[in-house]
Amino acid sequence: MSVAAGSGPVDAPSLPEPITRPKGVLTFLRRQPLTFLVVSAVLAIYLLVAVTGPWWAPYPPDELLTGDPFAPPSWDHLLGTDNFGRDVFSRLVHGERLVLGLALATAGLSVIVGSAVGLLSACLRGWPDEVLGRVLEILISIPPLIIALLVLGSLGSSYLLTISLVALFFAIRVATVIRAAALDVVVEDFITLARLRGEPIWSIAVREILPNVSSAVLVEFSLRTGYAVLFIGGLSFLGFGPAPPTPDWGLMINEGRTYISTAPWPVLGPALALAGLVVALSLFTERISEVLGLSAQRAPSQ
Amino acid sequence: MRYALRLVVSRLGLAVITLLAVSLVIFWTVELLPGDPATRILGQDATPERVKVLREQLNLDEPALERYTDWLGGMARGDWGDSIVAERPVTDYVLPRLENTLILAGYALALYIPLSLTLGIVTAVFRESRFTVWLSAAVLVGTAVPEFVVGILLLLVFAVTLPWFPPLADIDQTQSLPDLLHKLFLPAVTLTLAMTAYAVRMMQSSLVSVLESDYVRMATLKGLSRRRVILRHALPNALGPALRVTVLNVAWLIGGVVLVEVIFTFPGIGQLLIDSIRNLDTPVIEAIALIFAAVYILANLGADLVAAGLNPRLRAGGR
Repeated sequence: MSVAAGSGPVDAPSLPEPITRPKGVLTFLRRQPLTFLVVSAVLAIYLLVAVTGPWWAPYPPDELLTGDPFAPPSWDHLLGTDNFGRDVFSRLVHGERLVLGLALATAGLSVIVGSAVGLLSACLRGWPDEVLGRVLEILISIPPLIIALLVLGSLGSSYLLTISLVALFFAIRVATVIRAAALDVVVEDFITLARLRGEPIWSIAVREILPNVSSAVLVEFSLRTGYAVLFIGGLSFLGFGPAPPTPDWGLMINEGRTYISTAPWPVLGPALALAGLVVALSLFTERISEVLGLSAQRAPSQ
Repeated sequence: MRYALRLVVSRLGLAVITLLAVSLVIFWTVELLPGDPATRILGQDATPERVKVLREQLNLDEPALERYTDWLGGMARGDWGDSIVAERPVTDYVLPRLENTLILAGYALALYIPLSLTLGIVTAVFRESRFTVWLSAAVLVGTAVPEFVVGILLLLVFAVTLPWFPPLADIDQTQSLPDLLHKLFLPAVTLTLAMTAYAVRMMQSSLVSVLESDYVRMATLKGLSRRRVILRHALPNALGPALRVTVLNVAWLIGGVVLVEVIFTFPGIGQLLIDSIRNLDTPVIEAIALIFAAVYILANLGADLVAAGLNPRLRAGGR
């Protein structure tokens, strides 16, 4: 049913490529293609900026009139200034912590909840698994963006609400993937043995199955982080994220849109930063799923 | 055959259950949130009289379950209630906007189908050429870049820097077709690019595996022309997954269209949904959310059925 997402001709039922355990980090890195190294470096820079940025950013994020409004990029203002004369580069650097933090929190929560549900369902087997599978199928057909807009619009946006809401939508998808992976494992003999030994169900889930689906969990986390940047960015672009003057990237794009014909840089900066982050995360996911022998689940609807 | 029928019926049943579940979520989110909806709409300092009138207008004094069934029944009958802000029937308000959105989505799909077919075939057939490597990289990037960033960048380049297209994609009845196609080009292309990226990726991988299968090699060895082998023998077998992605893309359009309509200030239902949420115009919000949900669920149903139809094991009768 599903088509192998690899590109190579893998017709022969050959043995899986022997995964040689890397002797050291350096040997492992030397074996990676250049793009992967570049992508990892880019992600490392994003992370570094998120952690250290506020210490070295040239201006505070919401200081008004650091220069003329709409000043074009210059040495004083690397990415120019916006309509309030705020330094776009500083805002970008300050906002990164928020963008990355929200995405990681969302992805982390969704992977924890989703994996727990998926593992539990696969462990229970029989009718509870059947029912849970059906429930997941129903939940997956709920349009995430529309419901998220309704809830955030009615309750008002907050970090906690956004994280839990988006994590909930993602958890449904994670649970489906992990359940499928775990269902392949539960039929193995060592699980039957564990059951006969009288191991409690949570122990089977955590100690027997989880280690065997850990690569799927890892890929899901990486994939969901990228999707979370996208989804939350979209929400704040639509005005359902943090309130001004937060230097959130989606919000910056939204605010700068009005003046795009006068000064494109307040939009261009966050737009390219966001695109770079998502592309890097996507290429990273691609590669680690290849290394771990999985194909990242990609469907156009998030 | 009986198995196929059972599959379709059970899937359809599941879709109906899902739609009911989603309608409940929509209704509950909009109506049963903390605080009185009438006060929420009118603001904290509204006079009790006005609140009372609005409560009656919204039937807020009836039990929630009754209001839900009334609303759902009304939606099914085509009586969608009155907009609070515009003070006229929701149908009058929403349907012209829906038409605009359908025009935009149809335009995007019309661009998408030939583009993704061509690129899918080209990248699969010439899979070893340098050009394809770059094209595949571009496609990979295209699946990752958020559509609102693509939209903004297109707007910046082709409407601001180079004034080839209008930055505002408004639309009215008097426009001629070429004029309309010109005005809607940027938003349509934004949607098309995102959809195409997914479809090309899927088509390429399925077509490559078909092209390297024995029966295609056989057809080539029989001396058929390369063109005939690709178009008549290989392509039909690779179209299935592409069809499935296309249907899923329709589901994706629901979210994409909201963002793109906002970027290009296009008067469609996505823009109307955002405006109505800001104005707390509950009947309009509920109607649009239900329309979106129905399309999303139908598209997912379609994708499931296509996938099932493509699976020979299921087609043959299954387990």
